[in-house]
Amino acid sequence: MILLYAALGTIFGFVLSRSGAADYNFIQSMFLFTSFQLYGIIGTAVALTLPGLWLLKKYGRTIGGTPITIDMKPLNRGNVAGGLLFGVGWSMAGMCPGPILVNIGEGKLYAIAAVAGALTGAALVGVLYPRLQKAFHLPKM
Amino acid sequence: MILILHGLPPVHWAAAGAVIAIITLLLLFLANKRLGLSTGFEDICSLVTPLPHFQRKAVVSGRGWRLPFLAGLLLGGFLSAALAGGWSPTLALGMFDQRIGFGVAGKFAWMFAGGLFIGFGTRLGNGCTSGHGIFGLSNLEFSSLVTTVAFMLGGIVTTNLIYRVLF
Repeated sequence: MILLYAALGTIFGFVLSRSGAADYNFIQSMFLFTSFQLYGIIGTAVALTLPGLWLLKKYGRTIGGTPITIDMKPLNRGNVAGGLLFGVGWSMAGMCPGPILVNIGEGKLYAIAAVAGALTGAALVGVLYPRLQKAFHLPKM
Repeated sequence: MILILHGLPPVHWAAAGAVIAIITLLLLFLANKRLGLSTGFEDICSLVTPLPHFQRKAVVSGRGWRLPFLAGLLLGGFLSAALAGGWSPTLALGMFDQRIGFGVAGKFAWMFAGGLFIGFGTRLGNGCTSGHGIFGLSNLEFSSLVTTVAFMLGGIVTTNLIYRVLF
């Protein structure tokens, strides 16, 4: 299974790399509304995943026959605050989490600084979680 | 518009979106996993710190698929560059170089700061473009709609501030 996941990730990464989803200029053009490319990619992905997901949930089984279980994400104040902060970071770096790794793979050295920052940011949330939990009504651990 | 990578023309958005949808659905159908990449930052934290936040079930139980998937992202980027005209380390950053500059150290500091916002924001908001924007929206989850609107808004305001006001 590890090889399967790695293969899926490789195809995913290749497509992110060649489509503009891991490209600084394309990300800025999305936020400046000067290019449709990223809206087309995300829109198509959602438009096709939505009915596929509906069918899979209706059929209700994975290929191995086990029931499909999807943990829904809870709604809380962290969604708004975290989303806004992530948007600032996506704009500054021109990469969202997956494409940071794609950029490193491509040889874009500055992406190493971005992943170092992202790991530090994630670690900060872990350290501050008890306080953030109260402030943003996050789920208890 | 062309890519920074070797000046390649991008693949059509519909083709890219379709591949992303297929992989998202395969991950659920083959492995019963919901796509979500920013939890990967916590996976890596969980390998190096015993902090209970990173040892919770949602993180530890997903490491088995997420870590190889993330390694695949690196490989996918490498293959994309290698097959397009050769892999070589680069600092090229498109319009950032033309409009902002800042030099090498400045670029790394800028990227580290951007990464901080990404890491902190995605973990506070419980997801990123993949988990909220693609999977969550497709699964009609309200928290994903809220988060997606928030991160698009954050990005639109920041980029417009940077390129239409400051630089």
